[in-house]
Amino acid sequence: MKHVARRHFLQVFGSGTALSLLVGSGLLKPGMALAVDFNRSAFEAKTAADALRLIGAAGAETSPDILIKAPEIAENGAVVPIEVTSRIPGTTRLSVLVDKNPYPLALQFNFAAGATPTFQAKLKMAETSRLRVVASAAGRHYTLFREVKVTVGGCGE
Amino acid sequence: MSDPIKFRATVKGSTGEVRVLMPHPMESGLRRAPSGQLIPARHITSVVLSLNGRPVIEGALGSAVSANPLFAFQLEGVKAGDQLAVAWQDNTGQRGNAETVFSAA
Repeated sequence: MKHVARRHFLQVFGSGTALSLLVGSGLLKPGMALAVDFNRSAFEAKTAADALRLIGAAGAETSPDILIKAPEIAENGAVVPIEVTSRIPGTTRLSVLVDKNPYPLALQFNFAAGATPTFQAKLKMAETSRLRVVASAAGRHYTLFREVKVTVGGCGE
Repeated sequence: MSDPIKFRATVKGSTGEVRVLMPHPMESGLRRAPSGQLIPARHITSVVLSLNGRPVIEGALGSAVSANPLFAFQLEGVKAGDQLAVAWQDNTGQRGNAETVFSAA
């Protein structure tokens, strides 16, 4: 039974190389179903288009079932609070991109059964930019964006 | 860095609210020190949240997450006393972890 659950988890999230690293570290006991299967190279992409392609979401369709709470004007680009929720049934992954950041892909979360596809986080924004969310459900990708004005950027200087 | 993780988990009905603050500089590698030298990148790359030993949320982070990352999550079907663990790892191989239990709100 335990094995079946693990298999299911691996199918949902794919098998990860980070798994062996974390298990090797002793931080996680073997048998724990951890499989952080993210494409790290997407985090090094320098354009939103490249990042979207690398996370496999280039053809994402716009969905009104993604909710983004973010300030219209962020005074401090170093700390921009966001809240993201997907009402798309079966959402297993949420990704957030800030189009004009030096590295647009900001974060991704995988949600297993029991975890609601919603989170709050704080991001750095270099300048006024489109904030883009991608929700992945059953192998399909949905997206929604929101414009956030930034008064003082929070990436370089 | 050595500051402990702040980890709070409360349950209302069967819905659990989780807040976790992980002290970490989240250096992007793009900033320069006053000397003009680039400050090397040092940021959390992965986060795992486990409920009673089962990973329920896994995150991959880039350098655009603010310093001292604070996240809030929601879990369903939890009860007071359920165990919650969080573990992170950064791009330099450093790690941190913490545990807590759900308490009634």
